[in-house]
Amino acid sequence: MTTLTRNPRSREQNPKRTLLNRKLPGTRSDVRIALFFIAPAMIGFVLFYLVPTIRGIYLSFTEYNILGDPEWIGLENYQALAKDPLFWNSLAVTGQYVILNIALQTSLALGLALLMHQVAKSTIIRGALLLPYLMSNVIAALLWFWMLDYQIGVVNQFIEWAGLPRAAFFGSEEWAIPTQALINTWRHMGYTALLIFAGLQSIPGHVYEVAKLDGASAWQTFSKITIPLLRPVLVLVLVVTVIGSFQVFDTVAVTTGGGPVNATRVIQYYIYQRAFTESDFGYGSAIAVILFLILALVAFIQMKFLKGNESDLD
Amino acid sequence: MKKMKATGALAAAAAAVLALSACGSGGGSAEAGKGEISYWLWDANQLPAYQQCADDFTKANPDITVKITQRGWDDYWSTLTNGFVGGTAPDVFTNHLGRYGELAENKQLLAIDDAVDKDKVDLSAYNEGLADLWVGQDGKRYGLPKDWDTIGLFYNKDMLSAAGISEAQMKDLTWNPEDGGTYEKVVAHLTVDKSGKRGDEPGFDKNNVQVYGLGLNGGGDSSGQTEWSYLTNTTGWSHTDKNPWGTHYNYDDPKFQDSMQWFAGLAEKGYMPKLETTVGASMADTFAAGKSAINAHGSWMIGQYTGYKGIQVGIAPTPVGPEGKRASMFNGLADSIWAGTKKKDASIKWVEYLASSACQDVVASKAVVFPALKASSDKAAAAFQAKGVDVTAFTEHVKNQTTFLYPITDNTAKVKGIMEPAMDAVVSGKAPVSSLTAANEQVNALFK
Amino acid sequence: MTTTASRAPLAKPASRRRPSKRRPFNPRRAGAWALLILAIAVSVLPFLWVLRTALSTNNALATNAGSLLPAEFTFGAFKRVFGLQTPAEAVAEGGSGAAIDFWIYLRNSVVFSSITTAGAVFFSAMAAYAFARLRWKGRNAVFSLFLGTMLVPPIFTALPNFLLIKNLDLLNTMLGMVLPYLFMTPFAIFFLRQFFLNMSREVEEAAMLDGAKHLRIFFQIVLPNAAAPIATLALLTFIGQWNEYFWPLLVGSQDDVRVLQVGLGVFKSQSPQGAPDWSGLMAATLVSALPVLVLFAAFGKKIVNSIGFSGIK
Repeated sequence: MTTLTRNPRSREQNPKRTLLNRKLPGTRSDVRIALFFIAPAMIGFVLFYLVPTIRGIYLSFTEYNILGDPEWIGLENYQALAKDPLFWNSLAVTGQYVILNIALQTSLALGLALLMHQVAKSTIIRGALLLPYLMSNVIAALLWFWMLDYQIGVVNQFIEWAGLPRAAFFGSEEWAIPTQALINTWRHMGYTALLIFAGLQSIPGHVYEVAKLDGASAWQTFSKITIPLLRPVLVLVLVVTVIGSFQVFDTVAVTTGGGPVNATRVIQYYIYQRAFTESDFGYGSAIAVILFLILALVAFIQMKFLKGNESDLD
Repeated sequence: MKKMKATGALAAAAAAVLALSACGSGGGSAEAGKGEISYWLWDANQLPAYQQCADDFTKANPDITVKITQRGWDDYWSTLTNGFVGGTAPDVFTNHLGRYGELAENKQLLAIDDAVDKDKVDLSAYNEGLADLWVGQDGKRYGLPKDWDTIGLFYNKDMLSAAGISEAQMKDLTWNPEDGGTYEKVVAHLTVDKSGKRGDEPGFDKNNVQVYGLGLNGGGDSSGQTEWSYLTNTTGWSHTDKNPWGTHYNYDDPKFQDSMQWFAGLAEKGYMPKLETTVGASMADTFAAGKSAINAHGSWMIGQYTGYKGIQVGIAPTPVGPEGKRASMFNGLADSIWAGTKKKDASIKWVEYLASSACQDVVASKAVVFPALKASSDKAAAAFQAKGVDVTAFTEHVKNQTTFLYPITDNTAKVKGIMEPAMDAVVSGKAPVSSLTAANEQVNALFK
Repeated sequence: MTTTASRAPLAKPASRRRPSKRRPFNPRRAGAWALLILAIAVSVLPFLWVLRTALSTNNALATNAGSLLPAEFTFGAFKRVFGLQTPAEAVAEGGSGAAIDFWIYLRNSVVFSSITTAGAVFFSAMAAYAFARLRWKGRNAVFSLFLGTMLVPPIFTALPNFLLIKNLDLLNTMLGMVLPYLFMTPFAIFFLRQFFLNMSREVEEAAMLDGAKHLRIFFQIVLPNAAAPIATLALLTFIGQWNEYFWPLLVGSQDDVRVLQVGLGVFKSQSPQGAPDWSGLMAATLVSALPVLVLFAAFGKKIVNSIGFSGIK
């Protein structure tokens, strides 16, 4: 469906005067029926999104080990956070992961999308590229944990045959987080490529014809036409991938568990460790609040500066 | 019509909800003295022995059955904790000295003093000191001893003879933190690089090692049970101010830090694998693949090491330290009862059975671990002997009283959380041993 | 949409612009194909490697680390995964001898994914209809609120939700696992609202003129018309739920409610003091991936085509 280039809200802003929109005499507003339709989703929203958000903030001001009662301790958790080297470490590690992941994933996905657009659009090819995305993070992590194993993994076997020293992908502090980023890129590049590909499809052909007539080179066409027109898609992809990357957990939990030393102790894993393994729910909640704030800030900055709401075609 | 549809849907939903909530809850008879009790353990090697105990127990107590579940080590503790929180913990479970402090403090364990007194369990029949370990800080008893283990050196007999080292030499090693004593000499000599040069020969390439003299399990976190404690505790150092129920850890002690300096140095010299290569690998399997000559490991691994095909395994006691004595961490397991169990009497009966000679002799005969009862552990030593395995390296620690306890304190999960990365950093050479002082402060802050 | 051969959005600097259709062999096109094939290989080959490992014997893996064929072909790994091997056999093959029963985990995953998908899609469709078609005060404000939930990191709500489920005494029950997802997912509401907004209104208007109420319109007109996107949404939701790890890890740790993904993580740590049971682990991975693969084989085109639509605002 190519309704992409129109701002979908435009229909709402200029509603045609249809029966459904015009207030017929004697028709009351749809509030009552709307309440009925919305009720289940509303229950879900309040119970499992709204209330937990508030409760989570409350818990961050308490000390709570689950087996007793929460005990109010004010800002102590936050003060401890500021001094906690593992907390700052988790921010650094997660930041490193996000940057590596986004850089690799976006560039590879863009390249793939262009390739597909230029050379082959078949469903089979798209499906093959999508395959890793359909697998869970756990499966992707375990698969690579096996292939990259230091002792008997196939990748290290090839490395050794090539005459290079084996690499401890998961065991070495330098490689651990980049390896996690690589796994995530592997899993997502096909999906992201498809997203961008759909965006490419929506660029009208006549734009390119005009460019060709004007004598634009391939690079000029790419940088001055394709990329700007892809901007809404790229921004959306960036926002979603960045927010998703900050919440990496599954792959770390089933492979390195935060190690070696602290090289993969990402934020969400640290929260899990403090809250569940060390029974410190209050402290875990405090870190979660900070993560929430970071994500909100990141999303806000991205949307603001990249102006993802507008499309250059409008 | 609309109304009927809606109520119909609601009723269906309600029924579904009820059905789903019934899915998770376990059944069971109401009486506390009979029915099925659940028992958890983590060592798959011991499963057959305990299954036989369970069968024998049911023969003797026909209205009680025991359902045994085995879970791998990591999974065991997290699922157990989840079970406590969620109210679905097993009735009886294998408990560990390193964990039971917290469980007792959080009131998850059932005190069994009354039952022990009433049923006149003979606590003196257990190996020295074991029974007292399971008395909590509040003076109540939370478990009956099950087994004990110590640390020994497993070595590859063929590699030893190829290196010209006699087994008598191996059994008489010395160590000190300055130059490593004869222990380091032997380890160096057993290390062979890809071109055949030994670790103590000129031209040894530490970046291209074929066989490591000493294998590595990990950084050892707060206890270093198999990794380094058999060395550090020969210098007069101990983990805590007192044990059990100490409140001050000593990782800032120079004796400890000098020992760790030596230990980390081994990897630097190429005699021990780098820490990063141990992720996803097993020290025992690496030994079996002929990649290491000596492995320091616990007596619970005897079956595994001696079961490897194609390797002749010998067992030597840990080295004698600077104070002229050996040292080995002494760990004991016990079976504890969950405070929330609905089958209190049946569980108590099962725990007493597990701690009795009826069960411990069965375990002894299978030659997998050393049961806690003196008589049973002698039987186990004999069973090992009958299999051709000489276990004096393990038993002599008990005889000569050169054992020291696994550190039993509160907050062990948090202590481990702090010490694991700290020790990893030191053992991998990424941080100097002085960094352990800062870690120690963090640990001791937990007890203020 | 026309595609002219001279359009060249590739980032590679073009040597010459010329219509590529007529050339029998275009090196640039060949290069592009080569890269594409490489990408496909990287995406697909690991799964073949998993299959190869799953059909191998553990003890032979070390010596045959690079060979493409299974090392000592055996179905033992699959038997282990389904609990069909005795502990002694399992240990002999390098497994753990532990009683892992993937049938139960499989069942739990199916139940979990189905219930959450059914509930979330249905209730989200209702809510999406309210947002798209019904007129009521504050509609857009409430919708923005719902959208905002997409921003909240799941871990942030996971901790308090865990406590809520615990307070309701529903820990380690299927109901407890299912509840947070059952009533809606923000993505589903968003997705369906988009669709409803763009749906043509004629049939609905005709029905309204006939005096039909909204409820009837929804069930008898809108839903049937939206069958295709709802089916796609259900597919995507099912796959997403199948792959969930964190929440089931927290709430479903006991065997009778454990799902496949959590079971996989557990399987890895089963071997006593050892390296993972690689072939068993790979077999377990395949079993966990199989249902999704089957769905993909059956509905692949739908899924692939939905990616573009769902990703765009």
